Amino acid sequence: MGAKIPRNFRLLEELEKGEKGLGADACSYGLANGDDLLMSDWNGTILGPPHSVHENRIYSLSLHCGENYPDVPPDVTFVSKINLPCVDPRNGKVDPTKLQCLSQWKRDYTMETILSELRRSMASPANKKLPQPPEGSTW
Amino acid sequence: MALPKRIIKETERLMAEPVPGIKAIPHEDNLRYFDVEVHGPSQSPYENGIFKLELFLPDDYPMTPPKIRFLTRIYHPNIDKLGRICLDVLKSNWSPALQIRTILLSIQALLGAPNPDDPLANDVAQRWKEDEPAAIQTAREWTRMYAVSENR
Repeated sequence: MGAKIPRNFRLLEELEKGEKGLGADACSYGLANGDDLLMSDWNGTILGPPHSVHENRIYSLSLHCGENYPDVPPDVTFVSKINLPCVDPRNGKVDPTKLQCLSQWKRDYTMETILSELRRSMASPANKKLPQPPEGSTW
Repeated sequence: MALPKRIIKETERLMAEPVPGIKAIPHEDNLRYFDVEVHGPSQSPYENGIFKLELFLPDDYPMTPPKIRFLTRIYHPNIDKLGRICLDVLKSNWSPALQIRTILLSIQALLGAPNPDDPLANDVAQRWKEDEPAAIQTAREWTRMYAVSENR
């Protein structure tokens, strides 16, 4: 086992990756508040995957990395309304038991892992034609 | 993976012969991760301040430099809002011959000699160049607000 990178340095790496735009295609993320020394609150966006009802839509999310991140996953919430089985229709919270990267979280997973998996879920055959709330609506 | 001898030796020496005005203590559950305190140099706007930092020795240390950042808020042209430090020896001028102790001394020296021509915090550097006495005054106020013990 290699060196165990502490929370804050891991988050700085993720921030730098996000700032340089090296992140996964069609997903981005950054600090909600640029002078938050604790780096707890993050904004994410997912560009709706093509050939789905989400095509050309942009979804905003908020992610909260607690003090035990990345030993435990962040809390993930959709700010934009979306109809997706892993998302609580009352408040936009992503149910960690219904998204594999959250239920089987590993320390080397990142916020990018989560956003990419959500985007794949939006494009999956079971979900890509689900009826959606009006574009741009929020919880 | 056992801790490399180099890191054990550096840690032992940091504990046995601490550098005046600098403290570095490894976390019990991660011996590559240090809690650091650096005293602001006298005659600088950071005088009387005790600044907390965190330091991490990555897998390939000492081939790559330690990662380090301020946890105490500080007004300085080479340190950004997230405590990241712009210092040549932490980047292109790193050499495996340098150590935790020499890096921390360089950071302490940076507090005594801000360099607004190689800025990381652009707004701070700008102010430093346009109105140095005012910038120094702000640095003093921030030191008092965030880095002096009775206020922490």
